Amino acid sequence: MPEDVGRIWGVHFLRVGAFPPAAARELVVRISRRVAVPCKVLATPFEGEMPLLDGRTQVNADPLLETLEAQAERDNLLVGLLTLDIGSPLFTFFFGRARLHGHVAIVSLARLRPEFYGLPADPELTARRTEREVLHELGHLAGLHHCDTYDCLMYFASSVDAIDNRGSSFCPGCAERLPTGLLPRRAMRD
Amino acid sequence: MTASARKDGMSMLVVDDEVIVRESLEGWFTEDGYKVDTAESARAALRLAAENHYDIALIDIKMPNVDGLELQARLGEVAPDLTVIIMTAYATVETAVSALKAGAYDYIVKPFDPDELSHLVRRAQEHRSLQSENLRLKHSLETVAPPVEIIGEAPSMARVHELIDAVAPTDATVLIQGESGTGKELVARAIHARSPRRYNPIVEVHCGALAEGLLESELFGHEKGAFTGANYRHKGKFEQADGGTIFLDEIADISPRVQVELLRIVEEKRVTRVGGKHSTPVDFRIVAASNRDLREEVKAGRFREDLFWRLDVVPIELPPLRERQSDVPRLAEHFLERFCKSMNRKGLSFSHEALEALQAYHWPGNVRELQNAIERAVVLGTPPTIEVSDLPHYVTDKTGARPSSGSLAEMERAHIEGVLTQTEWNISRAARTLEVDRGTLYNKIHKYGLKKPEHA
Repeated sequence: MPEDVGRIWGVHFLRVGAFPPAAARELVVRISRRVAVPCKVLATPFEGEMPLLDGRTQVNADPLLETLEAQAERDNLLVGLLTLDIGSPLFTFFFGRARLHGHVAIVSLARLRPEFYGLPADPELTARRTEREVLHELGHLAGLHHCDTYDCLMYFASSVDAIDNRGSSFCPGCAERLPTGLLPRRAMRD
Repeated sequence: MTASARKDGMSMLVVDDEVIVRESLEGWFTEDGYKVDTAESARAALRLAAENHYDIALIDIKMPNVDGLELQARLGEVAPDLTVIIMTAYATVETAVSALKAGAYDYIVKPFDPDELSHLVRRAQEHRSLQSENLRLKHSLETVAPPVEIIGEAPSMARVHELIDAVAPTDATVLIQGESGTGKELVARAIHARSPRRYNPIVEVHCGALAEGLLESELFGHEKGAFTGANYRHKGKFEQADGGTIFLDEIADISPRVQVELLRIVEEKRVTRVGGKHSTPVDFRIVAASNRDLREEVKAGRFREDLFWRLDVVPIELPPLRERQSDVPRLAEHFLERFCKSMNRKGLSFSHEALEALQAYHWPGNVRELQNAIERAVVLGTPPTIEVSDLPHYVTDKTGARPSSGSLAEMERAHIEGVLTQTEWNISRAARTLEVDRGTLYNKIHKYGLKKPEHA
């Protein structure tokens, strides 16, 4: 997150690989309702080389994050959206990845979909989970740590059940530490 | 490194020679609000641990020069309360066993499942909190529970104090011998209270109070259905004393059969419940006591010699009160204060004559008899002073007073007379107390011309 929070002009979404444009557009609508700054999907998807993990059918999240960080604009937050599963040599998987106080996050749809667990597809549920995961990663970009309040968006979730169980908003303590641009529009008006 | 955002401010040390592991975990745990330091080698980790305080250390098992298990051992010297989690790339039973044997809290296999790592660290954190809580409670327990106080400044008690101080911190078996009422139980409690086992139980067994069959079940426990009425599995006293001390009072009273079982348990430190097939290891320390001379019991063939030598590791002889008469005033004042407090009686003190009478009496029932006499006086006494008339009549009875010449015959006469007074001339009870048969007691009464007082 740039130190001068007043300089955040918006949150940009970047489709990585074959991420469905419709899903990206719906996500922008959802996130736009939740934050004060404008949100948009970048027209050109990222089609660079995917750093894959040895012996695993997963994208290595950390080098991908570095690549996106190198080409991102400093004044906007950038969220890379993937359908491929992400992990790292040290961790078996991630739902999303971001550096504290960084300006780029990535979120994978792979494990947010019920189909991953052998359940019937549920686009609404997937969209809701993706929205929460994006807001969680934006919280990290704003410098928020994981929170011990179980229904806060910043509560650590290591399973989709935990994502479903944690609430859809930041607890008062975390909300207080968020920059104005990432606060809900309603809160700004107040 | 980011300052902790957690309320409890846990700090973590990550030790791995691979930079990607260090950076990943630093980022991961920083997001979680931990204060994280990283080290690329055992040497760097030891330096950091010496300079800083860490709650949890995540250590890679495989590192050049000094491996994770070796580092864990060295860290144990620098930071003994550190909770260590070993990271390994291969999950083998050998690795797990080595890590846990070396004292690690747990181990985790790379790559980490985020859920597993999160749970493991949370459990380690709770483990730390419980450890700290346990330590805090132990400290507060020491403040709340006053140490066991043994009163006695007479020269004969100096050796007792020395022995208690010397033996308490060890695990050595102690055999306390002394007449009834000399404070054998108090000494056992003092030894336990000053030992490293003090936070575990002291379990008392009055061996003389139970029939043989019952004693066996009481000491060793029994399995369900071991005998009629054994409806439930029952843990014996030895198992209850696991980690603590077992106090076997009146050890001379146990039957030869139980002596054999006891010898086996003392030697093997394993208990087999009555009706059980398997033995269980038990960690206990034995403090035994007897008011009879166990050597004499061995000579008489009533006590196993091999068991005696097992118990007589550190013998402590408690002198009878008549041999430390100078302690009587202090003991009397101690009991006076205690009973005044418990009975909410204020402003009571001994008259000069009452104290003289207490000192003049020979106390065949020892400290327990003195304690009873003071309790009685506190009940009957009228503030501000306890007078001679408030003391039991046998204390002030001239014939019951301590013999002045100190000859053996006179001592015996006074002792027999004291016991008869105590038992209100119940010959059977007096004979039991004196451990002679009724015929012998009648002969002694006749020999010394003792007569039953009219009021007894």
